[in-house]
Amino acid sequence: MDIFHNIILGFQVASSWENLLFCFIGTLIGTLIGVLPGIGPTTGVAILIPITFGMNATTAIITMCGVYYGAMYGGSTTSILLNVPGESSSVMTTLDGYQMAKNGRPGPALGMAALSSFIAGTFAVLMLTLIAPVLANYAVSFGPPEYFALTFMGLTMVTSLGGDSPLKGIISGVLGLIFACVGIDAISGVARFTYDNMNLLDGVGFIGMAVGLFAASEVLVNIESPMQQIFTEAKLNFLSLFPNLQDWKDSFGAIWRGSVIGFFVGVLPGAGATISSFMAYAVEKKVSKHPEKFGTGVIEGVAAPEGANNSAAGGAMVPLLTLGIPGSGTTAVMLGALLIHGLRPGPLLFSTHPDFVWGLIASMYIGNVMLVIQNMPMIGLWVRLLKVPYKVLMPLIITISAVGVFATDNNIFDMWVMLFFGVIGYVMRKLDYPPAPMVLALVLGPMVEMSLRQSLTISHGNMAIFFTRPISGTLTILALLSLFAPLFRILWSKYRRGKMAAA
Amino acid sequence: MKKADVVTGVVLLVLSGYVIREAWLMPPSATFGPGSGFLPFWLGVLLAALAVILLGTAWRRKATEKDRTSPFPGTKALMAIGSVLGGLAAYIVLLEILGFLADTFLYVAFLLGVVEREKWSITLLVAASTTAGLYLIFQVLLGITLPSNMFGF
Repeated sequence: MDIFHNIILGFQVASSWENLLFCFIGTLIGTLIGVLPGIGPTTGVAILIPITFGMNATTAIITMCGVYYGAMYGGSTTSILLNVPGESSSVMTTLDGYQMAKNGRPGPALGMAALSSFIAGTFAVLMLTLIAPVLANYAVSFGPPEYFALTFMGLTMVTSLGGDSPLKGIISGVLGLIFACVGIDAISGVARFTYDNMNLLDGVGFIGMAVGLFAASEVLVNIESPMQQIFTEAKLNFLSLFPNLQDWKDSFGAIWRGSVIGFFVGVLPGAGATISSFMAYAVEKKVSKHPEKFGTGVIEGVAAPEGANNSAAGGAMVPLLTLGIPGSGTTAVMLGALLIHGLRPGPLLFSTHPDFVWGLIASMYIGNVMLVIQNMPMIGLWVRLLKVPYKVLMPLIITISAVGVFATDNNIFDMWVMLFFGVIGYVMRKLDYPPAPMVLALVLGPMVEMSLRQSLTISHGNMAIFFTRPISGTLTILALLSLFAPLFRILWSKYRRGKMAAA
Repeated sequence: MKKADVVTGVVLLVLSGYVIREAWLMPPSATFGPGSGFLPFWLGVLLAALAVILLGTAWRRKATEKDRTSPFPGTKALMAIGSVLGGLAAYIVLLEILGFLADTFLYVAFLLGVVEREKWSITLLVAASTTAGLYLIFQVLLGITLPSNMFGF
């Protein structure tokens, strides 16, 4: 059994004291980020890249993954107790979670959120263990056209599925691709858009851009709308957190459906944790015998979205590790971090760095256990942390970002890049342009260009190469469909309206 | 938002024109395949097309309630944002002159004391502990040499 062999290898890597320690620190920071409003998982991971720079690649990514799924846990705490979702993925949890807290049952709501997250998170890692190597094996035979089609699809799905306006998502992505062109062209050695600036020969610094777009702009947005201080009166002790037998009976189905929905939505590029929690809640309401009770504090309404968003975080690791295609802002930042550590995610990663891949997967099992242990007895502490005023956090976030960006290359220029993208990110947020496609495009840009030009060199400039090979053909068509999906929707509604007017 | 869309549309159109021109001037390919200007050129064309769509839809649709309010905050908030950014620019410029310790202390003190108008005692305490904490993480734990001033700190 190959898979058992691999898993054992993984646990050997993950259980070194160093990896255990940083898995613990990562999940702890993640929970903190999830609890504090005004700082999201993408920001957290972006700020952490410079700090994890000196570690070996496995430890660094274990820490970042810990932050990622830790934030999913932490987000639920404030949703339930204060009706303030820490992340967009826990918005659905507020509907029934806050009602449960108001009805005097905050304990079981918090407990069920943590346990449902644990079960779903473990399910997702299990699925990752089973699916990822198969997919990676299959993808080894990919050539440049397949890679182009794949990266193209990753980009179009993220741009068209994320955000309210697909047009603005696409503009953000195209701008990111243009930024990715800056620097020396890897094929011909021509310097592009560098203005004789030495610092730009290597291209736009990824860390400066990611930290600027996410961390710095988030701070700027928060300055203008000062956050209210929020408190809760809820009294919590350890035993009151455990859901009773009836709660378990009610939630059993919700947890499993949430896990499955979350995982598959998470695998799709562009969808991710937020959409999966919406879907899981909607499905639960549909299959429920008493849909009218949703929104008044039923425990299924907490278990389903919380399970789904954690499962989606695990699912998102599948395309990232096997194909090198990140499905969300957070995983795009992680891909950038992997590249900095000299690891190129993709099908070959499983055969060239099995210790890394399996160590990471094993650490996710361990991290999930750590999170339950951290969250159950320490919830009281997390709630108290909310009293730290944002005033104090703001300078800390700015300076840790600025110094971190500097520290990766000891280069002041990267700090200017951060400042520049901080302003760009602020304007984008204000005008409803999603920043994630831009970061994704910067990370994928070199790969898109390389595979595009290699393919066209193979075919002597004939575009048909992307359509005649079966895999790249399917992927390209899927990408085009997702790109034009919003257009079809508009045409369809016009057609229906026209028909109704005629009738 | 209507006005904002028109303004961004025009800005993007100008930007795309610039990208197309730059890409056009890049040296031609030396192989069978496309050269270094290929992708930037088509990205420029794509961006121009998207900008036109943005302008067109903004032009045609009626102004909604949301359009009447500016997406940007009032003067007071803009001043706060400007001072955070201006302070950051000064922080970057002064980093290698004042050294990490003095520069970071001053910037945090500026953010808390001037921008946020916090009490001076708290300001000094937070500035000192933030600086010390960052120094501990980056210089001591991670072994990164942070910039120092001419006096060596």
